[in-house]
Amino acid sequence: MSDLLTGLLQESVSGIALGCIYALIALGFTLIYKATEVVNFAQGEIMMVGAYINFFFVTQFSAMAGELTGWVFLAALFCSIIFAVLFGIILDYVINRPMKDEPVFSIIMATISLAIILRSLTAMIAGPISLVPVSPFGDSTIKTAGIVISVLDLAIIICAVILMSLFFFFFNKTRWGIAMKATSEDSEAAQLMGIPVKQVYRIVWVFAAIVGVISGVLLAPRMALLDTTMSYLGLKAFPAAILGGFGSIPGAVAGGIILGVIETVSMGTLSFHFEWIKEINDIIVWIVLIAVLMIRPDGLFGIAKVKRV
Amino acid sequence: MKGRYEDENLNWIPLLILAVFLLPFVLKGVTFSYKYYLYILNMAGIYIILTVGLDLLSGFTGLMSLGHAAFLAIGAYTSAILVDQVGLPFELSLIITPVIVGLFGLVIGFPALRIKGIYLGLTTMGFGFIVKRLIIAFREWTGGSAGLHVSSASIFGYPIKNDWDNYFMIYTFAILAIIMTRRIIKSKLGRAFMAIRDSEQAAQASGINLAKYKLISFFISGMFAGFAGVLFAHTSHFISTDHFDITLSIFFIVMVLIGGIGSIYGAVLGTLFVVLMENMFIPLFEDALSQYVNLNAGDFQAFIFGLIMLIFIIFQPLGLYGMWLKMRIYWKIFPFNPRKRFT
Repeated sequence: MSDLLTGLLQESVSGIALGCIYALIALGFTLIYKATEVVNFAQGEIMMVGAYINFFFVTQFSAMAGELTGWVFLAALFCSIIFAVLFGIILDYVINRPMKDEPVFSIIMATISLAIILRSLTAMIAGPISLVPVSPFGDSTIKTAGIVISVLDLAIIICAVILMSLFFFFFNKTRWGIAMKATSEDSEAAQLMGIPVKQVYRIVWVFAAIVGVISGVLLAPRMALLDTTMSYLGLKAFPAAILGGFGSIPGAVAGGIILGVIETVSMGTLSFHFEWIKEINDIIVWIVLIAVLMIRPDGLFGIAKVKRV
Repeated sequence: MKGRYEDENLNWIPLLILAVFLLPFVLKGVTFSYKYYLYILNMAGIYIILTVGLDLLSGFTGLMSLGHAAFLAIGAYTSAILVDQVGLPFELSLIITPVIVGLFGLVIGFPALRIKGIYLGLTTMGFGFIVKRLIIAFREWTGGSAGLHVSSASIFGYPIKNDWDNYFMIYTFAILAIIMTRRIIKSKLGRAFMAIRDSEQAAQASGINLAKYKLISFFISGMFAGFAGVLFAHTSHFISTDHFDITLSIFFIVMVLIGGIGSIYGAVLGTLFVVLMENMFIPLFEDALSQYVNLNAGDFQAFIFGLIMLIFIIFQPLGLYGMWLKMRIYWKIFPFNPRKRFT
C-alpha cells in the first residue's frame, strides 16, 4: 500500500513539474489574450524557437569559453531573452497590427500560419537532425522521504512560480498592468483615456515571447532530444489555458498543474493497475477538458462575459 | 413574389457543369500524366463536399470547428466497416453513413449549445483527438493504427475502379452538394443560421430556437463530412488514422477562409486553390529552386504554404470570392471610381 502511495506522490511531483511547463506556455497565451484578445496558436513554436536559440548560444559560448560552466548557461539565457524581446516586437508588427479588429477566426488562422512558418523555417535552418541539449544542472537529484526530484524539475517549478507571481502582481497592481486590462476591455476607450495602446500591445507580445523562450530553455533539457516536434507541446498546453479559463493567470497555473498531474498519474500508476487506461493515455487531457467545459463553459476561473446587444 | 435566385445570373451554371465533366477528356488529350491530375482533382472534389458543409457550420452559423477531419474519419471508417464487414451495398452506405456521422455531429453539437468561441474551437479539436484514439482502440473492426483496406465502390452494378470513374462519381456528388447548400442558405433554415451568426440574442428575440438550429447545423455539417468520408474511403482504397490529423482539420478551415468565409462558392474556390497549390504549384516551384539550393522537401512546402496563408489572411480577409466580387463591381461601374462605393 505504501508503495502505491509513494508511487502516486512521486508521479504527482513530476506531474507538477510538467504542469508548470504547461502553465508557462499557457501563461504566454493568457498574456496575449488578456491584452489583445488574440488567441495565439504559435506559442508552442515561440517556445521551440527559444529552445533552439538557447542551444545555439550555449554551443557558441561553451566553444568560446572552452568549457561548460554556469556562466555559459547564464550568458546564453541572457542572450536568448534579448532575442525574445526582438522576436516579440517583430511578431507584434507582423501578426498583431494587421490583424487588429479582424474576426477571431481570421486571427486564429493567422497565428496558425505563423506557427507553420516558424516550424518549417526552424526545421530548414537547423536541419533534420535532432539536437541533444545539455541540462545546466546535470543529472543531479534531490531525495526526500522516498521521493526523488531532479534539480531541473525543481528549477522549473521555482521559475514558474516566480514568473506567475510576477505577472499576477504586474497585472493587478502596476499602472501598465491596469492599462493592459483597460486595453483588452475596449481599446478605443483606452486610447481616449491616454493609454498608449500600441506600446501596450508591443510590450505584451514581448512578454509573451520572453515567457515562451524561458519555457523553451527550461523544457529542452527535460526532453532528451530537441527537434521541431517540441512545438506540439504548445497544442497540449492549450487545454490547460482553456481549463483554467482563458485570460486568467491563476487559471493558467491551476489548469496546467491539474492536467500535468492527471497526465503523469494516468501514464504511471493508473495504466499499471487498469489495462484500459493505456488506450486513452494521450487523450485523457481532452476528455477532462470537455467534461469540465460542459459544466463550466468558461473554464474553472473564467468569468462569463455578458454581451450587450 | 420574388424568386429565390432572382438577383443572380444563373445562365453560366450549366456551362460550368458541362466544363467540369469535359475536363478529364481535355486533360487526357493534353497531357500524358492526366491520371495524376485526376487524382488531385478527385481529392479536391471530396474536400469540396466537406468544406461546403463546414462553411454552413462555421461561415453561416458562426460555430467554430477545428475537428472536421474527425467527421471525415468517422464517415470513412463507418462506410468501410458497413460495406466490407457487414456486407451492405455501397449505395445503401451512401445513405446510412452520412446519417450516422450526422448523429456524431449532434454529439459534439450538444456541448456547443453552452460552449462558445475559442472554447468551442478547442472542444472540437479535442473531439478530433478523441475520435482518432478511439478508432485505434476499436482495432478489431478498424485495424488499429495499421490502417484498413477498403474495396472499390460500385453503383447499381457499375463498378467504379480507377480515378477516371471516381472523377465522375465524386464531381456528380460535389455538384449536388453545392446545389444543396445553396438551396439551404436561401431557405428559412439558412436565414436562421445567419441570424444566429450575426447575433444570438437578436435571433432568439425574433423567435429562432437557438438550440434547435445549432443542432441542425451540426447535423447537416456532419452529414456532408460523412458523405465526403464515404467517397474518401472507397476511392483511396486505404485509410488509416494518419490521414485524419489535426492538420487536416486546420486545412479545411484554411480552405474556407482563403475562399472567403460565409459564401458557398468561396468554399469551393478556396478548396480548389489550396489543393492545387499544395500538390501542383508548390512542387513545381520547389523543383525549380532545388537546382540552386539544397532543401528538405516537406519543410519548404510547409513554409511556402504558411506564407501564402498569412499573406492572404492579412491582405485579403474577404478571400478569393470577395476578390472576385470586388473585381466584378469594378467592371460594372467602370468609369467611376469604385473606391468610393467599396472600401
